[in-house]
Amino acid sequence: MKPMKRSALRWVMLSQNAMTLGSGIVFPFYLIQIKEIGGGFAEYGIAYGLFTICSAFLNGWFGRSSDRFGRTPLLLIGSWGMAGLFLLFPLATSIAQVYALQIAMGAFGAMQRTCEKALLADLTDGEPGRGEKIGRYQTGIALFSGIAVIAGGFLIDYFTLDLMFYAGSALLLASGLLLLRVDERGEEGQAG
Amino acid sequence: MKGRRGRLRLALAACAVYALLLSLSLHARSAQPRGEQATDVGRVVSARVDRTVTVRSADDARRAVLEAAAEGRKVSIAGTRHSMGGQTFYEGAVVLDLKRYDRILAVDEQARTVTAQAGATWADIQEAVNPLGLSVRVMQSQNLFTIGGSLSANIHGRDPSEGPLIAAVRSIRMLLADGSIVTASREERPELFRAAIGGFGVLGVILEATLELTADEVYESRTSLLSYREFPQRFEQAARSPDTGLLIARLSTAPEHFLERMYMTEFRRTGLPLASADRELKQDRAVELTRFVFGLQRKHDWGKSLSWSLQERLFRSEQGGLVTRNNAMRPESDFLDYRDAQHSDLLQEYFVPLSRYEAFVDGLRALLREEPLNVVNITVRYMPQNGESALSYTASEDRAALVLLINEKRSAARLERLERLTQRMIGLAQSLGGTYYLTYQPYATLEQFRRSYPGWTELAAAKRRYDPGSLFWNDWYGKYGSEEGGGRR
Ligand SMILES: Cc1cc2nc3c(=O)[nH]c(=O)nc-3n(C[C@H](O)[C@H](O)[C@H](O)COP(=O)(O)OP(=O)(O)OC[C@H]3O[C@@H](n4cnc5c(N)ncnc54)[C@H](O)[C@@H]3O)c2cc1C
Repeated sequence: MKPMKRSALRWVMLSQNAMTLGSGIVFPFYLIQIKEIGGGFAEYGIAYGLFTICSAFLNGWFGRSSDRFGRTPLLLIGSWGMAGLFLLFPLATSIAQVYALQIAMGAFGAMQRTCEKALLADLTDGEPGRGEKIGRYQTGIALFSGIAVIAGGFLIDYFTLDLMFYAGSALLLASGLLLLRVDERGEEGQAG
Repeated sequence: MKGRRGRLRLALAACAVYALLLSLSLHARSAQPRGEQATDVGRVVSARVDRTVTVRSADDARRAVLEAAAEGRKVSIAGTRHSMGGQTFYEGAVVLDLKRYDRILAVDEQARTVTAQAGATWADIQEAVNPLGLSVRVMQSQNLFTIGGSLSANIHGRDPSEGPLIAAVRSIRMLLADGSIVTASREERPELFRAAIGGFGVLGVILEATLELTADEVYESRTSLLSYREFPQRFEQAARSPDTGLLIARLSTAPEHFLERMYMTEFRRTGLPLASADRELKQDRAVELTRFVFGLQRKHDWGKSLSWSLQERLFRSEQGGLVTRNNAMRPESDFLDYRDAQHSDLLQEYFVPLSRYEAFVDGLRALLREEPLNVVNITVRYMPQNGESALSYTASEDRAALVLLINEKRSAARLERLERLTQRMIGLAQSLGGTYYLTYQPYATLEQFRRSYPGWTELAAAKRRYDPGSLFWNDWYGKYGSEEGGGRR
């Protein structure tokens, strides 16, 4: 049982690192996107707020759903859903469209965040050195979000914002694919 | 998820669906209008241009112009984009960015001339000529603008004995629509010279210019406080005095003496050797503090009062200070580094005969009491008569030039109101025999434009001759310049 869990945790970490990278490379540039279509700081605030508030309302519900249907299916929907949404960002031409996208992002984001935490808890439940494992996991995530923002800053000079969204989308797809390697038996006991 | 097989199938299915969605997205994106958003420092007008080409050589410029012509696109030209009326872009156009075409080609100490590429700024020229004891004859109050942009707006500055920039131009070299490069001066192609200087980039690309310089000198600054009623006479006296090197005045926007109190700063020639003042070009002093006070002034009436009294104190302490012409022609601060998401600092300028100055200020005060605008400050300069450019703003007599700095929210409703008020202010200036500056917001009506700038027909004639296919184009010209008055695209 133990090695199973360990390898499951590794795949979750890889997958979530890809997720962090994918969403992180575009994150600093939402503002540019919003400016491009004529918004300012206020619209940026609203867009970001919509994302967070929408996910706030859905976290509890998705948490419960993941108890019923398992964590990985929801995580999968979360990352592939976001990958799909990222394909829509380059097409947005009005603030209203960005708001709509942000609300949908909030929903998928809630799935991802809640299930990620729950899965992490499952996979470390009753294990010795739980804090250390979570610490190591979080190190990876933090590292990748740093790398993502730095890389984004460099890449935006060479590529258009649209291309960054496509790249981010591909990474989110990859994040889902990596998730498929999470051994269900590793999580089954807790999730099912 | 059941077993390896199932997961593999799921992964393949996901990839297939993703590939489909990706190609749909790319397809939809390619169907969207291409291009990039272009605007200027005022940010009240903008357009989606096809592309911006950075020009580093005359060949770059020629290639870009010919390519645009072959693609059937218009060409707009941009320097530092401090014009505010859509002069640097046009829907679907190719924009030539001249800022990197910025070498100083020659300084002739004997003849007192400088030849520079059009993307060079006054700061570049000041650095090149200051060590030689020379100075720019005509430039704006700040030195960050390009030569090309300054020529195309036919700008003016603080030296009351100098006309607009055209007065100090020996010759320009221009790239025309057919790809040829020609010289224009008072002797060679004078009609091109008259039309291109002050012609806002619609006749061709100015590549180089040879400008006349003057001697750098040591000035003593003297500031006096006065009322707007006694101002015109004192101002004219100072402007006409051979001792005056530079002259600038301000009109109070503080509520307690709104458009009544003024001060006037004269930079008087001392005849002292350059060594008696600091010859090194100075950098901006106290930028953060000035910026802070300016911010208060922008936001609050008490800020305007505070700033007025601080300036009074500052002038008293600086009374009689010595400064070189070159240093007096450097900016105190670049306030324009102002990037509020919702507000813009907008400039407007009105030229009125000195004899009607008082009436204009009274009219302006009445108008602004009736319909308040956030006028942050007003400066006044002296503009000698000059009718050389086709679009001259002082063709008939000497005028006082009043610059209003207005902070305004860029919402549709506020801008519509500003447009209406601007038309009233232009109307006021015109009723007193005055006019307005073309560089700022494109709010004048077509009738107002034609009344103030009857020489527009001359510009149109030069355009027919030098750019018959209307390759060079921008928003401003589309609205005012074309003979149909905005009809043709
Ligand atoms: C804060 C501020 C202060 C100012 N102070 C003054 C002042 O004191 N006195 C004054 O007279 N004006 C003043 N102006 C107005 C300013 O001088 C003009 O807007 C000037 O055109 C700005 O130069 P630019 O390099 O930014 O030109 P841009 O705005 O980039 O271009 C202006 C015009 O010039 C054309 N152009 C630019 N380069 C070329 C070229 N190489 N060949 C052909 N056409 C070209 C463009 O097509 C456009 O029509 C001020 C403006 C601001 C914002």
